Amino acid sequence: MMIEALIAVALIGALVTFVAPNRIAGKLAFVISLVPAALSLWLFAAFDGSGNALLDGELAFESQAAWLEIGDHSISWFVGLDGISLPLVVLTTILCTLAIVSSWTPIDDRESQFYGLILFIEANLIGVFSALDFFLWFVFWEAVLIPMYLLIGIWGGPRRKYAAIKFFVYTNVASLVMFGSFIALVFGLGDSVTSFALPEIATAMRNGGLDGLFGLGGPALASVVFIGMFLGFAVKVPIVPFHTWLPDAHVEAPTPASVLLAGVLLKMGTYALLRFNFTMFPEQVEAYAIPIAAIAVISVIYGAMLALAQTDLKRIVAYSSVSSMGYVILGLVAYTTFGVGGATFQMVSHGLISGLMFMAVGVIYNATHTRMVTDMSGMADRMPIAVGILIAGAFGYMGLPLMSGFYGEFTIFFGTFGSELLDYSPLFTSLAMFGIVIVAGYLLFALQRTVFGPYRLETDYEVSRAPVHDIASMGVLLGLIILLGVAPALIFDMITDAIEPIIGGGL
Amino acid sequence: MAATATGPFGFAPAIAVFPLVAFVITLVFGRHLPKKGALPGILATAGSLVVSLVMFAAVAGGDEHHTTLYEWTSGAATSETMVEGIEFTFGILIDPLSALMLVIVSLVALLVHVFSLGYMNAEGETGLRRYYAELGLFTFSMLAFVFADNLLMAFMFFELVGLCSYLLIGFWFRTESAPSAAKKAFLVTRFGDYFFLIGVVAIAATFGTVGFAGEESFITAAETAIEDGTTLFGFDAETWVTITGLLVLGGVLGKSAQFPFHTWLPDAMEGPTTVSALIHAATMVAAGVYLVARMFGYYALSPTALAIIAFVGGFTALFAATMAVVKDDIKQVLAYSTISQYGYMMLGLGVGGYVAGVFHLMNHAFFKALLFLGAGAVIILMHHEQDMWEMGGLKDKAPVTYYTFLAGALALAGIVPFSGFWSKDEVLFDALAVGLEQPVILAAYAMGLLAVFFTGFYTFRMVFLTFHGEPRSEAAEDPHSVGWAVKVPLLALGTLAAVAGFVNLAPVAELLHADITFLEFWLDGEYGAVEGLTYHAYHETVAFEEGVIGSETTTMLLSAGLSLGLALAGAFTAHTLYNVPDPSRHTTKLGGAYRVLKSNYYQDEYQVWLAEGLTLPLARAADRFDQTVIDGVVNGTSTISLFGSDRLKRIQTGIVTNYAALLVGGFIGLLLVLGYLGGWFA
Amino acid sequence: MTVDVQYYVLLSMAVFCIGLFGVLTRRNALLFLMSVELMLNAANINLIAFAFYHGNLTGQLFALFTMALAAAEVAVGLGIILVLYRNFRDVDVTVPTTMRW
Repeated sequence: MMIEALIAVALIGALVTFVAPNRIAGKLAFVISLVPAALSLWLFAAFDGSGNALLDGELAFESQAAWLEIGDHSISWFVGLDGISLPLVVLTTILCTLAIVSSWTPIDDRESQFYGLILFIEANLIGVFSALDFFLWFVFWEAVLIPMYLLIGIWGGPRRKYAAIKFFVYTNVASLVMFGSFIALVFGLGDSVTSFALPEIATAMRNGGLDGLFGLGGPALASVVFIGMFLGFAVKVPIVPFHTWLPDAHVEAPTPASVLLAGVLLKMGTYALLRFNFTMFPEQVEAYAIPIAAIAVISVIYGAMLALAQTDLKRIVAYSSVSSMGYVILGLVAYTTFGVGGATFQMVSHGLISGLMFMAVGVIYNATHTRMVTDMSGMADRMPIAVGILIAGAFGYMGLPLMSGFYGEFTIFFGTFGSELLDYSPLFTSLAMFGIVIVAGYLLFALQRTVFGPYRLETDYEVSRAPVHDIASMGVLLGLIILLGVAPALIFDMITDAIEPIIGGGL
Repeated sequence: MAATATGPFGFAPAIAVFPLVAFVITLVFGRHLPKKGALPGILATAGSLVVSLVMFAAVAGGDEHHTTLYEWTSGAATSETMVEGIEFTFGILIDPLSALMLVIVSLVALLVHVFSLGYMNAEGETGLRRYYAELGLFTFSMLAFVFADNLLMAFMFFELVGLCSYLLIGFWFRTESAPSAAKKAFLVTRFGDYFFLIGVVAIAATFGTVGFAGEESFITAAETAIEDGTTLFGFDAETWVTITGLLVLGGVLGKSAQFPFHTWLPDAMEGPTTVSALIHAATMVAAGVYLVARMFGYYALSPTALAIIAFVGGFTALFAATMAVVKDDIKQVLAYSTISQYGYMMLGLGVGGYVAGVFHLMNHAFFKALLFLGAGAVIILMHHEQDMWEMGGLKDKAPVTYYTFLAGALALAGIVPFSGFWSKDEVLFDALAVGLEQPVILAAYAMGLLAVFFTGFYTFRMVFLTFHGEPRSEAAEDPHSVGWAVKVPLLALGTLAAVAGFVNLAPVAELLHADITFLEFWLDGEYGAVEGLTYHAYHETVAFEEGVIGSETTTMLLSAGLSLGLALAGAFTAHTLYNVPDPSRHTTKLGGAYRVLKSNYYQDEYQVWLAEGLTLPLARAADRFDQTVIDGVVNGTSTISLFGSDRLKRIQTGIVTNYAALLVGGFIGLLLVLGYLGGWFA
Repeated sequence: MTVDVQYYVLLSMAVFCIGLFGVLTRRNALLFLMSVELMLNAANINLIAFAFYHGNLTGQLFALFTMALAAAEVAVGLGIILVLYRNFRDVDVTVPTTMRW
C-alpha cells in the first residue's frame, strides 16, 4: 500500500493546497511534498524487488485490486515497482519538491492553484511510473497533460497559449496513435490474455502469442503496432523530427514547469518505450535497429546543432534535452545490459541535470528578467554562487567524469559499441559521441557570453545574490549529480537487475 | 581494502586525497583562512610530496603496488575477444614511472603554491579563495590521473584536469579575453578527448578490460590477440590496435598541444602565470605525454602508431619552435617552447625511446616550471608588463631571478651540462638510430634536429631581451621587488634544472662504460617494477630496426655534437642580434615569412573558421530548417485543419431548407451505399 | 374486405414525399411546419399499417406516442415561428441565418 499512500498524499495535498490561501500555499505545498519525497526515499531503502516487473520479476510494494471488466478483458488497479521504475519515482518526488521551492520567487499570482497543480502532476507522475495495468497507466499518462497544460497556459510567457495548445494537442494525438496500436495488440493477442495487466501482455508477447488481426499476420501486426507505439512515444521523448513542441513549451513555461517537463515528463516517453516497445517486441527491435539508431544519432547531432544556434538560454537547454534523449534511444536500441542500463541511468541523470540547468537559468531570469544571451554578461560578478552551480551543472551536461551525466553517457557508448544486435554499432556510437563536442561548444559559448566578461545587463534590474532557498535546491541537485557520478552502483545495480530479463530472455 | 595490507603503499591514496581535502576546505572555509586560503593547498601538496617520496623510496627498495580501491561499476558484457563481464574500477598503480611522475607533479605543485603567495597574494588579487580551491582540485586530478591503474580512470581524471585548466585559465573572468581563451582550451582539448573516449570505449568493448598492468590488462590482451591473429570488429588485430591507439592519441595530441591541436595553448597564457607553470610543466600538457608513456606497451605493438607519434612529434617540435622566434610577449615565447618540447617527447616515445621520452618529460617539468615562475617574477618586477621590448637590463637588478632563469634557459636550449641537453640528446639519438633504417623517422629526426637551432635562438633572444642591454621602459628602470615566496621556488627549480640531467648520462656512460644511467635502470625495473611495464619489455615489443653510423659510440657522439652545435649556433645568433645595449627587432630580414610566423601559420584562423565560419552557419541553417520545414509541417497540420474546417463550416448556411436537403441527400446516399453493398444492383 | 399492406405503404410514401417536397421548397415557416407534420404522419400510417399486418398493437402504441410528440413539436414549432415573426417581421425561414457559426 506504499504506492497508494504516495499517490494519495500528493493528491490530497493538491486538494488542500488548492483551497489554501495564496499567501501560505508555497510553504504548505513544500511541506506536503516532503512527505512523498521522504516516503519514496524510504521505498528506495526498503526496496526488495528483483527482476523485471513485466517479465516475472519480484515486484516491490505490489498491490492489485479488480476494477472493471470489459468484454473478455479485466482492468485492475495494479501497481508495483522494479529496478527501472523506482529510481524514476524517487526522481519525480525529489524534483517536485525542488520545483516547488524554485517557484517561491517567480510565482506571484494564483499561488494556491499553481502549487496544487504541481502536486497533482506529482501524483500522476508517480502513477505513470508505478502502474502495471495498461488502462490505469494510460489514465495517469493522460492526466499528466492537464496540469502541465494549465501550468504553461496560465503562468507562462507571452506566447503561452500557442505553446500550451501545441504541447497538449501534439502529445495527445501521439497518445491516440499509441493507444490505438496497443488496443490492436491486445485484440491481436486474442485468448492468450485475459486482462490489460502489462506483465501478462508482455509475457504473452514474448511467448509468441500474437495472432493476426484485420487480415494481418502475427509478425506484420507486431511491426505495425511496434511502429505505431514508437511514433506515439517518439513525440513525448521527443525524437527528431517530432521535437518542435518542446522548445516552445520550455520557453513559455514558468521555471518550475520547465524543471518538471524536462526532468520527468520527457522520461515518461523513454520509460514507456523501454516498458512497451523494447520489452514486448524483441524481434521488432532487432528488425528496426538500424533506422532507430539512425534516428537516435540524428537526434543527438541535430539537437545539438540547433542548440548551438540559439540565443535564448532556455531554448539552448531545451534543444540540448533533445540531444540527450537521443543518447537514451541509442542505448535502448543497443539492447545490451550496459546500453539499456545506461539509457535508464541517463533518464535519471538527465532529469537531475536538466532540472538543475533550468533552475539556474530561472534564477538568472528572476534577477534579470531576460534569458537572452545577448542581453547580459558577467553575471558571475553579481551572483557568484548561483553561477558557480550553473557552471557545475553545465559541465555535468557536458559529461564531466564523476558527475552522473558521464556515467550515463559512457555506459551507453560502451554498451552500444559492442552491441550484437545493432549492425555498424561502432560507427553509430562514434557519430553519436560527437555530440559531446558540440554540447561543450554551445554551453561554453553561452557561459562565456552570459556569466563571464565585464558585467553588463540590458534590462533595468538591480542584480544581487540569488536567494538562499534557490541556492539550496540547486545545491541538493548538484549533490545528487555528483553522488550518482561517484557511486553510480547505487541505482545502476537495481537497474541492470531489471534489465537483464529483457535482454536475456525471450530471444 | 587490500591497500591497507602492504606497508607504506597503504598511504598511496592520500597523495590525491590531500589536495582534494584542501580543495573542499578552501572552498568552504576559504574566506576565514589566513593567507586567503593558500595554506591548506601548501600543506596538502607538501603532504602529497612527502607521501610520493615515500612511494618513490619504496619502489627504489624493489617494491611495486597495484591495487583496486573501488569498483565504480560492473555488469554483463561480452567483449569482442569473448571475455565475459566487465568491471570499471578505480585503482592505484605505483611503478617506477608513476612514482617518478608523482614526485614531479607534487613537487611542482608545491612550488607553484608557494610562488602564488608572492605572485597572487602579494599583488592584492581578489578571488583567491577560488584560485586556491581550483589549484587544489587541479593537483588532485593530476595526481589521481598519474597513479590511475586503468584507462577509464585515466580518462576521467584527464577530463577533470581539462576542467581545472578551463577554470584557472579563465580565472580573470571579468576580462573578455580570459573566458574566451579558457573556452578555446577546453573545446580544442575536448575535440581530442572525443577521439580518446571512442578509444577507451573501443578498447573496453574489444578486450573486456581497461587495466594498464598485469595479466588482466588490455595490453596483454592485445598482444595475445595479435599472436592469435584474431579478427576484431572486422579488422585484423594489429590494425585494430593501431586504430584504437590512434584514437587514444587524439586525446594526447589535444592535451599535449601537438599539431594540429596546439592552438589553445598560446591563448591559455591569459591565465595567471603560476597556472601556466603548473599547466605546462606538470599537469595538463604533461598528462598527454604521460599517457603515452603509461600505455606504451600498447603503442609498442603498432609500428604505424609509433611512426605517426614520432612524426607528429618531430613536426610539432620544429613547427612550434619557428613560431616562438617572432613572439614579443615573454609568456608567448615560453608557450611555443612548451609545444615544441612536448614534440620532442613525442618524438622520443614514437621511436621507442621510452627512457628518453620520460627523461625529457622530467627535465622539462623542472626547467619549464622554472622558466614560467621566472617569467612570473619578471612580470612582478615589470609591474605586470609582459612585452619583452619594454624590458631589458634586469640582470643586475634582480640577480636571483636572472641566474635561475638563465639556468632554465640553458636547460631549455640544450646546452651541456644542463638537464635539457642530456634528455634532448637522448631523444635525438634514439630517433637517429631508428631513422637510419626508417625514412619517415629520419624526416622526423631531421625536423627535431633543426628545431634545436631555433630553440637555442628564441631562448636566448628571450634572455637577452629581458635581462641584458639597457632598460627600455620606466618599469624596467625601477623594478618592483620580489619576496622570499618567489625566490625559494626559483632557487629550488634552478638547482634541479641544472643537475637533473645527471640521473641519466647516457653518452658519458657509453664513453666510460660506467653504469650511471640511473633513470634507465629505474624504468627498466632494476629496483621495483610491474612485470611487463619495463623499458626492456617495451624495447622487445617495438618492431623498429636500429642502425648506426660507424659504431654506436660514434653515432652517439655525432648526434650529441650535432645537437649541441646547433643549439650553440642558435644561441650565438641570438647573441649577435640581440645582446646589444639597444637591440632592434630584425624582423624585416625574415621578409614574407615574418607575417606567416607572426600569424602562427594561420592555424588559428582556420580553426576559428571551422567553428565560426562553418559550424555556426550550419547550426543557423539547421535552426532555420527546423523553424520553417519541421515546425512548419507541425504548424501546417494545424493550419490545414483550421482552414479545412473553416471551409467545411460553410455548409452550415443557417437556412433550414439546406439542412433538410442535406439530410435527405445523405439519407439517399447512405441508402445507395448500403444497397450496393447488399447486392441490390447486382 | 381488407386492403393489402402495400397500398398503405404506397400511401405513406406519397404523403411522406409531399411533406419532403414541402420541406425542401417552402420558405414559409408555417408551411414548413405543416410539411414536417405530413412526414410524421406518413410514418404513423406505416406504423399502424404494419401493426395491423402483424396483428399486434406495438405499432399502434408507437403511433400514439408519435402523435403526442407531434403535438408537443407543433407547440414548440409554433412558438419558434411566433418569435421568428416578432424578430424579423416575417415567417420566411431563409431570412434568419445568423445562428450558423
